[in-house]
Amino acid sequence: MTVKAFSDEWAHQFKDEVNKSSVYKAAAKGWKWTVGLVIEAEPDKNFPEPKGVVMDLFDGEARDIKVGTAADAQGCNFVITAPYSRWKQVATGELDATKGMLQGKLKLKGDLPTIVRYTKASQEMTECTTRVPVQWPDEF
Amino acid sequence: MARRILSAKNSQPVTYADAEPSAFASMLGGLIEANVASRPEKQKDFNALAARVGIWVTDIDEGVTLDFRRGHLVVHNGLEPKRDITIRTDADTVMNLSNLKIGLFGMPVYYDEVGRGVASKMFQRKLRIDGLLGNLATLNTVTRIFSVQ
Repeated sequence: MTVKAFSDEWAHQFKDEVNKSSVYKAAAKGWKWTVGLVIEAEPDKNFPEPKGVVMDLFDGEARDIKVGTAADAQGCNFVITAPYSRWKQVATGELDATKGMLQGKLKLKGDLPTIVRYTKASQEMTECTTRVPVQWPDEF
Repeated sequence: MARRILSAKNSQPVTYADAEPSAFASMLGGLIEANVASRPEKQKDFNALAARVGIWVTDIDEGVTLDFRRGHLVVHNGLEPKRDITIRTDADTVMNLSNLKIGLFGMPVYYDEVGRGVASKMFQRKLRIDGLLGNLATLNTVTRIFSVQ
């Protein structure tokens, strides 16, 4: 079922995809930190207000994924920030998240050695986002 | 505006040669700084290493030069001249290089999953290391400093 980008329904489906992934489960073993995604507003893309996604991830499981404010996401242990259109590129598989971070297209805040240690888990998490069928606000 | 510039006192272990370090330069500099601060064995390697190491990421067309100066690192955007070693590979392999485990005698482990992946990239020429001859010990030291494992 197609869901609106960064809606509660999207968060629910994203969580299900993460928890279905055996690759993620194995790669994220030992992970115990929260991750926040900040989606910056782009009014010209029909995304007028920033949003935040708060992911409570623990030991290979997504315990909770919620959509809230950017401030909610900024309170997480790791924070990845990008404008709406960049996140759309990531979620449609057009932009590889690792390359995006190395190029500064996605801005990462948090302990670098930890995030690098879990590169495979973050790549699989990105794959999980591409599996959620999304209705994008700039395509209405 | 420079965050940390070369002319600054070398009290910080990592400084940046460019007023605007690239995202890749900031990431590698930050990674090495965090590694060295948290692991005494890496600090020892860092204090002993004097070498210029280039890393070029082939699929994003960006690179850095890591100028190790025995206890201090200057990170340059792009490839600078007089490098001892230059590593050219894709973004995924750069991340895998920093995930290599360090085994006996401080040697990188190439027989586990990550190590085999790195070795395979070398055989396929998707990971090229210029200047390896005569600098194997330097490469191993850099790998130890770089590794998050």
